[in-house]
Amino acid sequence: MGTEKIIPIIAITFLLIGISSSIYVYATTPSISSYTAGDKSITINNQQFTIEQIFSDAQIRDIVTPDGINFSGIALDDLIIKTNVDCPSCHEYKIAAADSYEKTVTWENMQHGVLTEDGTAAFSDLAKAFRIKYVIKIEVV
Amino acid sequence: MNKMKLILGIILFGSLWGFSETILGTYLHNTSLPAGSIMTGVFAVGLMTISRVLYKQRGMQLGMGLVAGALRLFNPCGTCFICSAIAIMAEGLIFELIWYKLSLDLTELKKTTMSVSMGIIASYGCFVGGYIVTQILTPLSQSAGFHIENLIVFIPQILARGVPAALIGGIVVPAALMSKKIDIASVKDKIYYPLTATVSAACWIIVILNAIFILKVI
Repeated sequence: MGTEKIIPIIAITFLLIGISSSIYVYATTPSISSYTAGDKSITINNQQFTIEQIFSDAQIRDIVTPDGINFSGIALDDLIIKTNVDCPSCHEYKIAAADSYEKTVTWENMQHGVLTEDGTAAFSDLAKAFRIKYVIKIEVV
Repeated sequence: MNKMKLILGIILFGSLWGFSETILGTYLHNTSLPAGSIMTGVFAVGLMTISRVLYKQRGMQLGMGLVAGALRLFNPCGTCFICSAIAIMAEGLIFELIWYKLSLDLTELKKTTMSVSMGIIASYGCFVGGYIVTQILTPLSQSAGFHIENLIVFIPQILARGVPAALIGGIVVPAALMSKKIDIASVKDKIYYPLTATVSAACWIIVILNAIFILKVI
């Protein structure tokens, strides 16, 4: 097959991959616009909590991220301790967002992290790539 | 092609690319526009295509990526700017690999279908490749480390986000191929050398001054 046929076929294939991925993402990802702070719940260590429950009895922490942004929210390590995880320092924690973005962090990172009232997880010792918006789940791994 | 002319061409186009990534990219990221797609489709692929058409040399775009990546290192915006720099260099390498088999005079791209297709392939390939490189390198540079499952679950998002870049590339490459009419070898040395040196130096000075300004503000 000549170049004249291969190049358009590859281009169409790339577009089809991109478009089908867009459809898949659209179909499987809950709408971000429906993610409002007031009525959402977060699953932590297989237990469901509302944001009000979480904020009612966890320790508040203020952090500054490496790019100089201030965040105030509940301390992620305190949150994990309150959900009765055995040996919190023995595990890693996978923080998943409604848009399927997820990052796995260490216990040490959790000790520098917060979960804000609008559902964003941020860390004072990690790059912006570890700032997870629309958090729906924190899994102990 | 005179070697010195070629080296200055690499520095010029690499500097223009690095300048657009650091200065324009920072402002674009603060808007609601698809900044990554625009940066890859318009600036990265656009400038690499123009340089390929003008200089007709393989390997030049990889060199441009190295220059642009080096310039990115001078901009302290973002936590892992070394990762962004490596991602830019990766885009140069990906472009080089995609265009490697084409002839130097690019006769294969005479037809619009071919040039549009090549724009889609180059832009989508560079965007997805660069994005994946960043998603691997940034966690590796952090204490949390890299976890392959975090990347795998995010792959559909990356593939989906590449569509605007592909469409932009499909427009930009045919437009960039119009620069074929310019014969860089015929440009007089007394114009070429001062002009390329001045524009390249201006790019570097603006980026460095911007970096000093940002560091003072922080």
